[in-house]
Formats: sequence, C-alpha cells, structure tokens
Amino acid sequence: MSMSERLDSAPTKRLKTLEAQAKEAQRTIDELRARDALKTQFLSNVSHDLRTPLAAIITHAEILREGMLGDLNPKQRDSLSGIVSGGQQLIDMIDEILTYVRSASDQVSLVRTDFDITELVDQVRMLNQALAAKKHLTIERLNGDDLPPVYADRDKVKHVLANLIGNAIKFTPDGGRVWIGFSRRGRDGEDLVVEVGDNGRGIASDNYDLVFREFAQVDASPSRPHHGTGLGLAIARNLVELHSGTIWVESELGKGSRFYFTLPHNPPRD
Amino acid sequence: MPARILIVEDSPFVTDAFRVLLTAAGYEVDAAATVAEAIERGTSAPVDLMLLDLTLPDGSGLEILDALRKRGSLPRATLAMTGHNDSASRRSCFEAGCVDVLLKPVPIGELLRQIERHLA
Repeated sequence: MSMSERLDSAPTKRLKTLEAQAKEAQRTIDELRARDALKTQFLSNVSHDLRTPLAAIITHAEILREGMLGDLNPKQRDSLSGIVSGGQQLIDMIDEILTYVRSASDQVSLVRTDFDITELVDQVRMLNQALAAKKHLTIERLNGDDLPPVYADRDKVKHVLANLIGNAIKFTPDGGRVWIGFSRRGRDGEDLVVEVGDNGRGIASDNYDLVFREFAQVDASPSRPHHGTGLGLAIARNLVELHSGTIWVESELGKGSRFYFTLPHNPPRD
Repeated sequence: MPARILIVEDSPFVTDAFRVLLTAAGYEVDAAATVAEAIERGTSAPVDLMLLDLTLPDGSGLEILDALRKRGSLPRATLAMTGHNDSASRRSCFEAGCVDVLLKPVPIGELLRQIERHLA
C-alpha cells in the first residue's frame, strides 16, 4: 500500500466506525421507544382491569351498607363504610395512573374552546371546599374578575388546577391559607400566568425538579405522612406542556410554596 | 308490573352487583354482555330503561341505541355509564340519545334516584 492510500484509508475507516455506532444508537433508541410504548399500554390495561372489579366491590358494599339486603347494626355499617371509602381511594389512585399514562402518551390531543378561567377556578375551589374545611384552611381567589376568555382545553386545565389546589391543601397544616392568582407575562403580556400558593411546609430548592417527576415524592419513606401515587404534579406538567405552557415552583422550607403555570394567550385556532 | 331494566355491561362483577341492587329495589332485571346480545335482548321484550356500558367486546355501546331505534325498540330512557369523565365522550352519549352519563363507580343512591326520575 502506498503512503497516500494509507492516509486515505484512516478517515474512511473512522467514518465507517461512526456510521456503525450511529446505527447501533438508533437501534437502541427504537428499542427503548418500543419498550416505553409497551409499558404505557401495560399500565393502561392493568389500571382499567383493576378499576372494574373494584367498582363492583364498592357497589356490593354499598348495597349491604344501605340495608337493601337486610338490617345491620351500627358496627357492621361502619365496617362497610370503611370498605366503600377505601375502595373509592383506590379508584382515585387508579384514575390518576390512567390520566398520567394518557397525558404522557403521544395519542392525547387538546380540545380547545373559549372559557372563563375564573369561573373554572371557582368551581375547583368549591369542589375542594369540604376537604379544606376539614383542615380549617381558606381557599381564596385573589383577582381575575376582568380576565378575557381563555382558549384552551377546559377539562385539562381543570385537572391541572385540581391537582395543584389538592396538593396545596394536602401539604398545608391546619388553619393555613391557599390562594389562586392571575398575572401576565411576556413582552406584550401575551401569556396568562396562574399561581396556586400556600403557606404550608414548603419545598427545599434542591427538590424543585423532583416534585414534577413521576412517582416521586420529596419524602418517599414508607412512614411518610402523605401517601399517594406521586403522579399529580407530573400529570400537571404534561398537561401544561401539551398547551405549550410552562410550569414551575418557587418555595422556601417552612414558608410555603407558589406553583405557577402559563397558558399562551393566543394559541393557534384549530 | 315492575319496570324492566336491561343492564348492558361486559364485566360479570359489575352486572352481578347491579342485578342484586336493582332486584332488591323491585325492578325486573335482564342483562347483556355484548352489542349483539343487547340488541337481541332489547328487541325480544320491551325495555323501560337501559344501563349502558360504553366499551363492549364487539363494539361501542352507542351502536346499540342506533340498532334499537331502527327496529322501533328504543327503551324509554338510556343511562350511559363510563369510566372516562371527559366532555367529548359525554357529548357523544347525549348525541346518541342517552338521557344522562354516569361516572363509574356510580354511587347506588345516585343510580337509584336517576332510574326513578327517568322512569317517572
């Protein structure tokens, strides 16, 4: 081999190696995508299959509790109430997994309409009133009476609000405050910023990213005081990002948390 | 004569639970687990009220309404039951002729109230 041939073959060889490596990397990506799709399908099937018999268990327990098959003493009724509320809690967790799976998959699409977001916030406040009253918490809406309609997916925005407000109630001690406020962001104020704040226990800055990660809770120990799937904020993040918005948290330990999400003011009309 | 209710539901667990409930409440109860079976049960004898699960092994529960309407055997009222509470699926139920859409699991008090209201 002449000197010039040897010089030529070195870059060619290097190119071939790189091409082989790129092919290998692509194969790995494809395989991981396929596995991820399989995992999503599996979670979705299992959740659905768990929900159905559970719904039947709850119905059977309610039939007994209401005395439709004969009289019960108060202790028997209490015991059946335990089955009903435990079952309901499980259904709620399964629904959260199903919502997460849907929000994380590519198949989910937005159904945008014009709606009044202050009315929606008030509706979610009302739905959480009983839970808040149990802890002697107040849920206030600070402003927003003059906001123009928002063009977004109402069901999905409602879900985001419900998760953020539910979380705020969960992590705020008795007698605390939860509030919802609106502001504008962007050069011409084109994005609507929704804030859900509380004066609860707060989050250390190291954990700001962790709270939006699926299945993550800042305190994941078996003895943690707050149980759940750890999916609520991951779902909220997915649904906000689906709207091309962003979600973030500002917080200080012991001083409460403020969760913010944006909704683009003028998204493309469908 | 007691009102006749047709339960259309592919899960035997759920059908059993509703059968116990509705029989105890004094209704005559029939059940079907597929679209084909529901059309057959719905045309063989008049149905006063149908409790309709939307996801069935051989198709959508809403197809049953179309088929029964064509045969002149539409129940007086149909209550849809679904696990998905989104407005798109609610809308398609109302468009197909359901009188209401209930989210599973339906609390029995609410179910009995709805049935009573739509049979009145």
